[in-house]
Amino acid sequence: MNVEALKDLLYKIADDQLILGHRNSEWTGLGPLLEEDIAFSSMAQDKVGQSYAFYQLLEQLGEQKPDTIAFHRSAENFKNCQLVELPNQEYDFSLIRHFLFDKAELLRFELLSQSSYEPLALLSKKLLGEVRYHVMHADAFIKQLGSATEESILRLQTSLNEALPYALGIFEPSDLEMDIINDGIFAGEEALKERWIETVFTTISKTELNLADIDSITPIYGGRRGIHTEHLQPLLNEMTEVLNLDPSAEW
Amino acid sequence: MESLDPRINRLKSKAEWDEEIQKSAMDQFETYEVFIQIRENRPYEHVGIMHAPNEEMALIFGKEQYSRRYTCTGIFVVRTDHVKITAFSENEENIYEHMDLNGIQDGGESFEIFHLKKRGKQHIHVGKVEAGDYEGALSVSANLYNIGTPVYNVWVVKTSDILSIPPEDKMIWDTLPEKKFRDAMAYKAGDKIKEFKERNQK
Repeated sequence: MNVEALKDLLYKIADDQLILGHRNSEWTGLGPLLEEDIAFSSMAQDKVGQSYAFYQLLEQLGEQKPDTIAFHRSAENFKNCQLVELPNQEYDFSLIRHFLFDKAELLRFELLSQSSYEPLALLSKKLLGEVRYHVMHADAFIKQLGSATEESILRLQTSLNEALPYALGIFEPSDLEMDIINDGIFAGEEALKERWIETVFTTISKTELNLADIDSITPIYGGRRGIHTEHLQPLLNEMTEVLNLDPSAEW
Repeated sequence: MESLDPRINRLKSKAEWDEEIQKSAMDQFETYEVFIQIRENRPYEHVGIMHAPNEEMALIFGKEQYSRRYTCTGIFVVRTDHVKITAFSENEENIYEHMDLNGIQDGGESFEIFHLKKRGKQHIHVGKVEAGDYEGALSVSANLYNIGTPVYNVWVVKTSDILSIPPEDKMIWDTLPEKKFRDAMAYKAGDKIKEFKERNQK
């Protein structure tokens, strides 16, 4: 088994969750409804909790402690896709991102629950339930706002068009992709993308929204190789602001 | 006669069973009553109210609102004005013994019955009955479920008015068991603050 390939995969998953969890938590106290504020914040906490579980797997493979990995790396060492680091903007964009990302996440965990690397298979199985709810939440919102008023449809459509190239960046293949597939660790980003397009289309087709021809969109890659937008480093600075007041403090 | 307790007046409950009376809704969105099952094979218990634009969103919001801090095995919601309620009994009196029920007991509709057996607590699901109307459902329930300690108040809900998580989505209850990080209580800062103050005093 190619351990470097496995680690690369785990970093991608964990970093996606940590960064999106942090982004989504920025809505806490500012959500459009109290009920949604609570639900969205709670799901953001789920994501951070899940990233912790994946950083623990990395620790077992010889990487540093979860806190060190999460809080003591600079942007170029993060392997999250650029989609998750983009600013929240208005709620329509945050919802569309939540919808596009979590659909991929659920399918990824479904595939990973068959992984030949048993700790990863077990963890993925364990996380399916949480992400399943996240997708139910996202689907309910997109289905309803995607066929509600002229404004809600236009807002979601604009955000969908903006987010799609970044969403395709979720599936940026790694240099070690073939090793991961051949070792039976993961079915691979391409297989994941095929399934994702199908399920995104299923929900979108129940609304007034239009899904552009995926093949005509140029994916925005780079995140998986440490190339990020200007938005990631400020997010990391904020996330570690208190920690950096006194890095030697015990928590 | 008005009760001295404003909460009772708000419920608009009468001494006699009156089908026209239902739990009143609030002004923002629609309101839904949320019921949670804590463990498999335990009865569903009323946990509170949810504001939501519709039934589906009530279920989606209610799930996070009422189950995010604890593990849980089921949830359902029902629109507040679909809950028919009896009067409240006084003292240790049983409300079933104060009702003159004349509903249609025969009929193919199914109803869910909820009892209040501890004042100040919430209604707990006791079972399902088949009847022709709400009052008939109460009559059937009086024969079937009126056992043990006194029942102070009864809620009747049509089974068809209930929205729950479909069986194929049951996996959403299987979450990470470690939820301590969600509670402010889990952040033990007291000792550290004390130590910091002492250090500054020196």
